[in-house]
Amino acid sequence: MRKISRLGSEARLGWTLVAPALAVIALIAIFPLGWTFWESLHLHELRMPWLGKPFIGVANYVEIAKDPRFWAALGHTAFFTVVSISLELLIGLFLALAMNRVFRGRGFVRAAVLVPWAIPTVVAALLWRFIFESQGGIVNALMIKAGFLDQPMVWFIEASTAWVPVILADVWKTTPFVALLLLAGLQNIDLSLYEAAAVDGANAWWQLRHITLPLLKPAILVTLIFRTLDGFRVFDLIYVLTGGGPGTSTEPVALYTFNALLQNLRFGYGSALSVVIFVITFALAMLYVRGLGVRLGGDES
Amino acid sequence: MNLRASLAPLAFLLACTRAPSSNETVLTFSGSALGAEGTLVARQLKRFMQLNPGIRVELQRTPDDASQRHQLYVQWLNARVGNPSILQLDVVWTPEFAAAGWVLPLDKYGPEKSKFFPATITANTWAGQLYALPWFADVGLLYRRTDLVPNEPSSLEEIVADARREMARGGGPRYGIVFQGARYEGLITGFVEYLGAFGARIIDDSGNVVVNRPEAVRALEFMRDELYDSKVAPLEVLTWHEEEARFAFQNGNAVFMRNWPYPVAAMSDTAQSPVAGKFAVSPIPKSATAPNGHSTAALGGAQLAINAYTDHPAAAYKLIAYLTAPEQMLERAQAVGQYPTRFGLYTDPRLASAISIPMESARRAIESATPRPVTPIYTELSEILQIELHRALVRQAEPRDALDAAAAKINALIERTGMRKLMRARVAPPPQPPDTNGHGE
Repeated sequence: MRKISRLGSEARLGWTLVAPALAVIALIAIFPLGWTFWESLHLHELRMPWLGKPFIGVANYVEIAKDPRFWAALGHTAFFTVVSISLELLIGLFLALAMNRVFRGRGFVRAAVLVPWAIPTVVAALLWRFIFESQGGIVNALMIKAGFLDQPMVWFIEASTAWVPVILADVWKTTPFVALLLLAGLQNIDLSLYEAAAVDGANAWWQLRHITLPLLKPAILVTLIFRTLDGFRVFDLIYVLTGGGPGTSTEPVALYTFNALLQNLRFGYGSALSVVIFVITFALAMLYVRGLGVRLGGDES
Repeated sequence: MNLRASLAPLAFLLACTRAPSSNETVLTFSGSALGAEGTLVARQLKRFMQLNPGIRVELQRTPDDASQRHQLYVQWLNARVGNPSILQLDVVWTPEFAAAGWVLPLDKYGPEKSKFFPATITANTWAGQLYALPWFADVGLLYRRTDLVPNEPSSLEEIVADARREMARGGGPRYGIVFQGARYEGLITGFVEYLGAFGARIIDDSGNVVVNRPEAVRALEFMRDELYDSKVAPLEVLTWHEEEARFAFQNGNAVFMRNWPYPVAAMSDTAQSPVAGKFAVSPIPKSATAPNGHSTAALGGAQLAINAYTDHPAAAYKLIAYLTAPEQMLERAQAVGQYPTRFGLYTDPRLASAISIPMESARRAIESATPRPVTPIYTELSEILQIELHRALVRQAEPRDALDAAAAKINALIERTGMRKLMRARVAPPPQPPDTNGHGE
């Protein structure tokens, strides 16, 4: 009896001690989220005060569901995420394997590889915009020289070609980050495994498939989480490079939301869009965390 | 020199921060206040204060970028902040601010409406009331290389023919005509000019969306054909804003250009411009194939309005009236080359030496100016059109389908925002231009 009450008072003390931390979390994470959700249930257009701010229930969400521009933007986001992350993982793995070898100047190479990652996205995007400029852009100049084109091509007026600089820029900028994460994973692999495999006569390809990749899975999954969430929220790169154009062919959901919220000042609808993005990214994160947990358990056995 | 010019407004601000005396009315003015323009504003405000000892004016810096200033204004006004007491509005914002109740109607102060170019008054009128006074005007102009095309083209078709001829000639400019074709507001201003040339509009006087009528479709088809059929316009223009077009024209790469008046000064400078002395501007002509078409320029520029939450509306109007008086407008033209909105000034020889293009061309261009749709929902309407026009011009959609889609979306927007009735009630036919004979000259 006494023991239980002591536990109770300990628990009370515990709650009291974490209360400030919980309050901060509530204030900076839960409160804004709740507020955004509350906004999303209203018709609230900052530019049109004559409409008032009536409660309209889920009408904003219904509008989203019926909005072809939203679904197109969601498609663009998914396309961008899948394509750029696949490339980044592939190239990043290759880089990580190379950097994991022992060679002279390895420290320098590891640092140098990170340079693109250190460049602010907006700057990188402008850089790629210049590279793909139709007149005087280096890509057109090279392609004409090599005979692939006979006159400069305008990359940004067709959806299919406008994606090229966008994806390239993201791959160029983010692959180093992916490589670094994978390198960290590689360094956790016990080298004696390779030695044992070599003694058993396994070649490099066999070692990669049966030692490196399985043991790298946790690192790959962590990378995937980071990159998927980043990819899903892509904004600045596309804002600078294509502005979502031509038409709205490269517009991601984040750009569309920015547009509704900050250009058109549609606070209600924009908030609903924000909530939808939040739910999607949160669901993706949960999915990955679950996947990660299971696989980690599997690897241990 | 530059340093002094940029320090002047600062010195002025400091001078203004002395302790307020109790019986003084304090106004805050927000407007473009960078460089030479800042010096000019400071000088005019100082003079105003000398003439009106009871009023003190403080300068409040706002971003020079229009959309940033817009966002800031909207946030302030939503919070019912009374400062700045005088707002500098872009020409397409006035109805939005008026409908929101953020700026005060000016009619009771007796503004000299009849002295301004009618289009500039129409653009600032909402529900029959004037809400802002035009401060300076901006208009779309046709630039041409006079060494290649000595005579002003009388139709859009002539522009295309001239451009083709010059491009076909060996060693001529690479491009026939350059304009602003990126997906942004500039695309709408150009489109409004083509629409007028074909006798079409976006919204008619009764508030009906008419942007998908056959004349409008022909206007858009004409634009598309310039890119893909006659190929006088390079596909690059679909990513271009004002400056890219200016670079191309200034470097001698284009026969014609659509742009605002601002590049004239830089392009007339022989030190940096290969086309100095070899170009002229004129109003954008109409289409020869459209019976109802007329020479049309998009109207831009700045207006001054009174913040509805200010405590001193009468004093604020006094300042607006002062800044938009003929003398101050003339001084503004002389200092920064911005075009007066009072047509009477266009016979003043002092203006002739102040602006960089012949006064007559400027007057004709402003007379042919057409406001973009005068509606509180302009910004969203414009976004819809930008996307659909761009889709048509990059050939993602046929012009007719793109304009049908735009019309449907604009109608939905009008319904959603409850604008239908208000826009119908607006029917106030635009006043007749003071001199309609000017066009044919």
